[in-house]
Amino acid sequence: MTSQRIFISDQHLDLHPSGVVYWEEEKVLLISDVHLGKVTHFRKYGAAVPQEAILKNFEVLQDVIAFYQPNTICFLGDLFHSSLNREWQLFENWVRETSAKIILIAGNHDIISPLKYENLGISLVPELLFGPFLLTHYPEERTGLFNLSGHIHPAVKLNGKGRQSLRLPCFFKNKHQMILPAFGAFTGTHVLNRKGEDEVYAIADAMVIKV
Amino acid sequence: MTQEELFKIAEKWFREQGWKPFPFQKKTWKAFLGGKNGLLNAPTGSGKTYALWFPIVLHYINQNPSYRTSHKKGLKAVWITPLRALSQEIRQSAERIIKDLDLPLTVGIRTGDTSTKERSQQRKTMPDLLITTPESLQLLLATKGYDKMFKDCNAIVVDEWHELLGTKRGVQMELALSRIKTLSANLRIWGISATIGNLEEARQVLLGPESLAFQNSVLIRAELNKKIHVISIIPAEIETFPWRGHLGLRLLDRVIPIIKKSKTTLLFTNTRSQCEIWFQKILEKYPELAGEMAMHHGSINKDTRIWVEEAIRNEELKAVVCTSSLDLGVDFAPVETVIQIGGPKGVARFMQRAGRSGHRPGKESVIYFLPTHAIELVEASALQQAVVKQAVEDRMPYLNSFDVLVQYLTTLAVSDGFIPAEIYREIKSSFCYQGITMDEWRWLLNFIVLGSQSLQTYDEYKKVEIADDGRFVVHNRGVAMRHRFQIGTIVGDANLTVRYQKGGYIGSIEEYFISKLTPGDVFTFAGRNLEFIRIKEMQALVRNSNKKTSKVPSWMGGRLTLSAQMSQLLREELYSARLHPDQQSDSIRALAPIFERQERESLVPGPDELLIETFKTSDGYHHIFYPFEGRFVHEAMGSLLGYRISLLSPITFSLAFNDYGFELLSDKEIDIQAVIDNDLFSTSYMLEDLQKSLNSTEMARRKFRDIAVISGMVFTGYPKKGVKMKHLQSSSQLLFEVFRDFEPDNLLFLQAFRETFEHQLEEGRLRLALERISRQEIVWKACKNPTPFSFPIITDRLREKLSSEKLADRIKRMTALLMK
Repeated sequence: MTSQRIFISDQHLDLHPSGVVYWEEEKVLLISDVHLGKVTHFRKYGAAVPQEAILKNFEVLQDVIAFYQPNTICFLGDLFHSSLNREWQLFENWVRETSAKIILIAGNHDIISPLKYENLGISLVPELLFGPFLLTHYPEERTGLFNLSGHIHPAVKLNGKGRQSLRLPCFFKNKHQMILPAFGAFTGTHVLNRKGEDEVYAIADAMVIKV
Repeated sequence: MTQEELFKIAEKWFREQGWKPFPFQKKTWKAFLGGKNGLLNAPTGSGKTYALWFPIVLHYINQNPSYRTSHKKGLKAVWITPLRALSQEIRQSAERIIKDLDLPLTVGIRTGDTSTKERSQQRKTMPDLLITTPESLQLLLATKGYDKMFKDCNAIVVDEWHELLGTKRGVQMELALSRIKTLSANLRIWGISATIGNLEEARQVLLGPESLAFQNSVLIRAELNKKIHVISIIPAEIETFPWRGHLGLRLLDRVIPIIKKSKTTLLFTNTRSQCEIWFQKILEKYPELAGEMAMHHGSINKDTRIWVEEAIRNEELKAVVCTSSLDLGVDFAPVETVIQIGGPKGVARFMQRAGRSGHRPGKESVIYFLPTHAIELVEASALQQAVVKQAVEDRMPYLNSFDVLVQYLTTLAVSDGFIPAEIYREIKSSFCYQGITMDEWRWLLNFIVLGSQSLQTYDEYKKVEIADDGRFVVHNRGVAMRHRFQIGTIVGDANLTVRYQKGGYIGSIEEYFISKLTPGDVFTFAGRNLEFIRIKEMQALVRNSNKKTSKVPSWMGGRLTLSAQMSQLLREELYSARLHPDQQSDSIRALAPIFERQERESLVPGPDELLIETFKTSDGYHHIFYPFEGRFVHEAMGSLLGYRISLLSPITFSLAFNDYGFELLSDKEIDIQAVIDNDLFSTSYMLEDLQKSLNSTEMARRKFRDIAVISGMVFTGYPKKGVKMKHLQSSSQLLFEVFRDFEPDNLLFLQAFRETFEHQLEEGRLRLALERISRQEIVWKACKNPTPFSFPIITDRLREKLSSEKLADRIKRMTALLMK
C-alpha cells in the first residue's frame, strides 16, 4: 500500500489506495460512496450477487481505521445504497465497535430515516464546514473554501503510445475542490476528462500515483 | 381416409393454383402422415411452407372425419418462426389452404406485437394453429395450466432452424421441445433449415441426440439445384482503388447500369450504417432514382419495412438497399438481380442472398460482388469457388448453456412449478444438456433457490422456493412479473427509439451512437437528415434538418468472421497470385499491380509460408502476421502470441485483426527472431496460455453481459417504459468483477470463459491453424512502410489490449507522454 501525501490550505491530506482521505491535523478520515446494502438490495430482487462482497467493505474499513486511528470518521454521502435491509445490522455492529466519532453528510442514496442514525450516535448533516474545508456529497464551488466531495465515482482514462489506454479510479483535484473515488466494493466508476490545472491521483496496484 | 385419398386433396388444391407439388413436398407429406419427425432442408421461397402446412391440415381431416359437424377447439399445431415479421406471411399461406378446403380451423399469431386483449383471448381459447416465436413460446410455458394447452398439440414446426441453431434462442427451443414432448402424447416435430454444413447435427439438436424422436425421424432435402451466377465488379483502375475501407462507394457508378437494366435489384450491405450511406449517396448522384428506390434494415420502423416489402412485390421499386433484414422471408418474384457490397462473410449467406433473385422456374440467380477494398477481390474470387463447391458453413450449437437453463427453470417455477427429477430427465435428453452432471444440476437448483450454494445468515435472496410437496415454485409476484419481462430480452446494445419531437416514430438506434451526439448535431438515419434535440426517457427526440452531415450511426453488425472452408478457399485464391495469369480468376488477375507492389516491398506468401511484416510509424512499432484464417481465429492467435511474447520481456500491445491477419502494435520493438526461435506458434499449452492471456478476460467480460441478463442477474427494465438499461450496463460489468473477486467458481461466471473459448476464439480452429503454421516456413520481412496487405489491418480502430507490464510502469510512461 502506497499512499500520496498532499498539502492543501496548509493542511496535510493522505490519499490512500482504498479511496479514503486522512486529514492529519484534525485526525479525520474521509470516506465517500460506500453504498452499503447494495448487494443485499440486488439479492432481494433475485440477482445473486456474491455475498462475500458485503464483508469486503467492512474488512477494508477495519483496515484503514486500524492504520490511521482517526478521531472522526466522516462519510461524504451514499453510505447506504437503498432502503433498510439486513446489511444495516452489520453496519450497526461495526459502529458499536468503532470508537471514533461518526458523521454522515447525506447523499442522494441516503434515504434511511435520520433517527436510525441518531440512535447509533451518528450525526446526519447536509454539509459540513470544517477548518478551511467544505465537506459535501455533490461537488461544489464556494469562495474561500476548499471543497471535498464524492458522488461522481471518478475515474481517469490514460492513453499511451501504440494506442494503449487504461481506466483507473482516481482522486480528482482542481484549484477549489477534490472529488474522492467510491469506496464500495460493488460500485462503478465514471470517467472525467481533465482540463488545464486539474490534478489526478489514480489508484492502481494498491498504490496512489499522480498522473 | 387412406394416405392416397389425403394426397389427392392436396394435389387437387395444387392443380387449382396451377402448380405441381415438388417431390420434396410430397416426401414431407408422406413422412409426416406416417408419424415421422424430421428436418426439411429447403431454401427460402421454395414452397417449404406448403410442405408442412398441408400434412398438418390433412392429419386433422384424417383424425376428425366429422369435422364439419363437430370441431373440437384447442391447439393442434405450433409454427415457430425466428422473425415475427414473417408471421403474417405464414398465416396467409395457412389461411389460404383452410379457406379453399373449407375447414373450421382457426389461425392465430402470438408474438411480442400481439395485443394484451388478443393474448388473454388466446389464453381462454387457443387457436387451432398458432404461429409464434421462441420467446413467446417460453412465455406460454410461464402461464399457469400450460400443460393442458399442449395436451392435444400434435405438431411443432420450427421454421428457419438454421437461424436458431447456433444461438441461445435455439437452446430455448430445445428446452421447450423437451417439455412439450412429455405433455403431448402424439407429437411430430419438424424443422426447416436452409443448407448448412452440419445438417445431420441440426436434426439431432432439434430432436435430442439419442431420443426416440430422433430415431423416428428423417432428413429430406429439397435438392432444387438452383444455378447461381457470380459476377465480380472489378475496378477499372486497380492502381488507384483504395487499399482499405469498407463502404465501397468508389464503385457506385458501376452499380447504376446494373440497376437500370434489371426489374428490381436488391443491394445487400453488411451493416445498417453502410446501408444508410449507400442509399443516400446513390440518391445524391442519381436523383432520378428517387421514388423508385427504398431502404430496408432492422432499425427502420415496421410499417415502413412492410411498405417496402409490398412495393417490391408490386414491382414499384427499381432498387432496395438493405441488410440481412431481407435475408429471410417469403419470395419477391420481381427481384432479378442481387448485388453484395463488401464481403458477406459466409458462403451460406451469400448463396441465400443470391437465391433472392431469379425466382421464376428455370431462371438462374445472378449476384454481383462489389469489393470495398483491393484485397477483398481475393474474397470475391474465393466466393465464386465456394458457390460452385457449395462450401457452406456449420452452425455450432451451444452446449451446457447454464444461463438459459436458469431462465427456463425459473419459467417453469413461475407457472406450475416443477419436480426436479422429472425435468432433469427431460433436459438430459436434449442436445445442449446431454453432458450435464448431477453436481452441476444440484448447483443450479441451489442457485435459483438460495442465490448461492449454502444458506447464509442475513441473506434476503428471493426467487424460487421449494413448496411442501417438493415442487420448485415462485410465489412472489414481483419476481414472477420481472421474470416474464426478462424472457425474450434479446440482448444487444441498449436501443433508444428515435422520434420526432412533434410525435412520430422513426426507428430505433443504439445508445452508444446517441451518447456521442450533442444537441444540434445532425445525423443521417432512415434516409433522412435529422437534428438531435435531446434525450427524453429512452427516446431520442429529433427534427428534420437540411444540413449536410457525415454522421451515420454505426451498428455492431460489422463484426462477422469467415468460416473455415471460406478461409481455406481464400488462401488458395491468394496463393494463385503466383500462378500464370491464365490459371487465375479475373479478380486475381486484376489485382496484379497490387501483388507486384506487395512483392516489391515485402512478399506475397505461398502455401508453405507464413508472412510476418514489421515496420514503424508515428503510432509505434507494427508487427503484422498473415495466417488468413478469419477474424476470430486471428483474435485468438493474436492474444495467444501476445501473451507468449510478453513472457519474454514485459511489454504492452494493442491487438488489431481482420480476416486476413492480425497486428501487434506496441511502443517497443518485438524481437521477431526470438518469436521464431522460441517456437511461439506451438500448440502445446495452447489452452492454458490462452486462459492466461489478458484479453480472454476482456472477452469473457463481454460474454458475461448476455449471461447475466439471460440468467436474470441483471434486470433490463420494463420494455417500452424505458428504464434502467444504463443501470444494467454498469452492473453487469460490476457483477463480473465481484464474481471474479468473490465467487470465481460460479458456473455462470465460468460459462463466460467457456463461451469465449468455444464460440469466440474457436479453440478447435485455432489448433488446426497452428498445426498448419508448424508445417510452414516463417518469413519475416522488415519493411520501411506499410504494405498493401497491412493497410486494412493497421487502420482498424477496434483494438484489444494485452499487457504483462506492471500498471505503475505503464502509467509512468503514459504520463511522460502527456508532459511532452
